[in-house]
Amino acid sequence: MRAILDYFQLFNIEQSFNVELSYLSQAYQTLQKSVHPDRFAHASSQEQLLAVQKSAEINDAYQTLKEPIKRAEYLLNLRGVEMPNEQHSFSDTSFLMRQMELREMLDDVKTSNDVDAALAEAQRELSIEHQQHFDLMSAQINENSAASNALACDNLRKLKFYQKLNIEIERIEDSLFDD
Amino acid sequence: MAYSEKVIDHYENPRNVGSMDKNDPSVATGMVGAPACGDVMKLQLKISDEGIIEDAKFKTYGCGSAIASSSLVTEWVKGKSIDEAGKIKNTAIAEELALPPVKIHCSILAEDAIKAAIEDYKAKNG
Repeated sequence: MRAILDYFQLFNIEQSFNVELSYLSQAYQTLQKSVHPDRFAHASSQEQLLAVQKSAEINDAYQTLKEPIKRAEYLLNLRGVEMPNEQHSFSDTSFLMRQMELREMLDDVKTSNDVDAALAEAQRELSIEHQQHFDLMSAQINENSAASNALACDNLRKLKFYQKLNIEIERIEDSLFDD
Repeated sequence: MAYSEKVIDHYENPRNVGSMDKNDPSVATGMVGAPACGDVMKLQLKISDEGIIEDAKFKTYGCGSAIASSSLVTEWVKGKSIDEAGKIKNTAIAEELALPPVKIHCSILAEDAIKAAIEDYKAKNG
């Protein structure tokens, strides 16, 4: 028998968006040691299996809480916020227009006369907007009202577009080093 | 994952890529996005006074299936009335392009883009 703990309880930390990463990493390592296979070398095969399962769960929990977007999604889920289906299209027109512009900006970087300067400028613009949405989402999650959680959920979806843009910009950077 | 021949054809030779003036009252613009993969799709329709789609353009940032779905849709909607275009279902798009289950959302995005464009047109000309 084992109680079902949520990921925050598993690491014995407060259920909050603000997680001390150094503390989380310590708690993770301590927990993983407690279920390390070496400790179960002489245990029954059932106990060994349970330890392996527990280790996988601890790992999932750590990966979820470590990464802010995943942590936000998990926390909103725990609060019972209805997340729109991933298949559900996003239709905030002005936001998407801006996304289109940012994609076009990245396209232009590749053909710019001064690629390094254009890339730096694109990175600067992107990171400012990304941070704005992130700060807004953090504040909305921390407010923790029905209305603010719904807004946080909306911002969480917007942040995923910025994640995609960041991947794209990294790809451009890599391609510059290849030449 | 292997793309079907039709997807590759649309991806390599996309039909009707481009933009129209979104402030033109006869131009309807539909913008949709998929947070899961960060795809962004813009579909624009030029609509006659009789409600017939005379021209269609798209611009999509996304995977091959998303580009193929929007490219196909621009071909399909031309010459249709907005009511007929509004009835295009994602299942028909997915079937035509032989999209695998993990790419069905690309066809949903294309269907939603048509709907968003029609809504824009109605809002503009309501």
